[in-house]
Amino acid sequence: MPPGYFLISHPAMSILLEKHIVELLQERNEKAISLLYDHYGDTLYGVAFKVVRDEELAQDVVQESFVKIWKKSDTYDPSKAKLFTWLFRIIRNTAIDKLRSVQTKSDKEIQLDVSNVYNLGIDAIRPEFMDVRENLEKIEHKYQVVLDALFFQGMTQQEASDELDIPLGTIKSRLKIGLRELGKIYGSTLMMLILLILK
Amino acid sequence: MKDKIKIFLESDLLEKYLLGATSAIETARVERYIVMYPEVRKQFEELQENLEIYAKMHAIPTPDGLKAKIFHRIRKQDLGRRKVRRFAIAASIAAFLFAGSSYFFWNQNMNLQDENTMVNNRIQNLEADMKQQLEDVRNQFIVLNNPQTKKYLVNGNEKARELKAVAYVNPVKKLSYINVRNLPNLPEDQCYQMWAEVNGDMVNLGIIKSIEDKDKLLPLPYGKNAISYITIEPMGGNPSPTVQNIVANISY
Repeated sequence: MPPGYFLISHPAMSILLEKHIVELLQERNEKAISLLYDHYGDTLYGVAFKVVRDEELAQDVVQESFVKIWKKSDTYDPSKAKLFTWLFRIIRNTAIDKLRSVQTKSDKEIQLDVSNVYNLGIDAIRPEFMDVRENLEKIEHKYQVVLDALFFQGMTQQEASDELDIPLGTIKSRLKIGLRELGKIYGSTLMMLILLILK
Repeated sequence: MKDKIKIFLESDLLEKYLLGATSAIETARVERYIVMYPEVRKQFEELQENLEIYAKMHAIPTPDGLKAKIFHRIRKQDLGRRKVRRFAIAASIAAFLFAGSSYFFWNQNMNLQDENTMVNNRIQNLEADMKQQLEDVRNQFIVLNNPQTKKYLVNGNEKARELKAVAYVNPVKKLSYINVRNLPNLPEDQCYQMWAEVNGDMVNLGIIKSIEDKDKLLPLPYGKNAISYITIEPMGGNPSPTVQNIVANISY
């Protein structure tokens, strides 16, 4: 585990980093893009890949998104949303638009099958990503499906309910429980990391 | 109020907003709720945290060279923007020059128009003057040429012996003129002034400028048994004649 990974994972550090990046963005300093890429690039690429399910397309999406981020940097309002939320919205919408324009895989059944994605991308995963992947496995499949549908497939809760043939109430509760589980898993990992470092 | 928040949280508006999938109206509504209600704000904070965690779980290492490609595109775009800006600057300079020259020509046009009006006025004045002078000359001609016109020779008294003047009076046309031929020189602070006593009123006829008025016929007010005087007055003239300084008088 490289020391940087822990530093960035720590909430206080990530807040500082976020602030720094936002300042650079507002100054229109290219360093902002470099920092964004170094700290969020893998996640954003992962999100793009999750939506478009094609490495080339995902790379295009990341490129286009970063151009948008650079172009729209003055529209980001830190009082309204976290930096990552803003980045996620851009990458997600760009990816969904890309998918619609290319229309390669219109079959949503395939997209909803989470395990396929990870079988496709598994060779590319570096060791430091292994533990988060393990974390992902800790989340029950039924929650994952709901979260993926809402986060990556661009569905509303109603659409997810129709598509997955799950009642709307269940979608809502799975989303909330799923998100709570995330918090728990993340919390324990962080505690473990702190313990490891302190040793 | 509590119900309102509960209903709001149970709808998927907050999640939609989190993902940037709300319409403009929905966005405004969600942002209002986030600002107004701490419960909603807290929920949104949590959603943001969890989204980041969940997204990070799906991280895949970016392929080599992607960062370079991104920088290449950003720089290309900035260059394009700079070109547009340069073009905009050039265009504004051109527009400014155009506005400036337009103003210059407009101003010049206005000046020319003013000048034109002035010249026209002057021509009209000249025309009117000319007509007036022609009328005067005609009247003078009528008087001088009329057989009924009487000619009076006027000589100066002992105060101005060299004074010579000719008066023309036509009782039929009721016109009279005087032509002062010669005036003796006066000290610089004195001048000759003409007067006429018509029907008991003393009329000031003005100062005689010796040189210029030599060949001119000066009109005299006509009246029966009128008397005209020439007096020596202080420079600039006098409102009433100085009787002891009368140098010549003409009765007609």
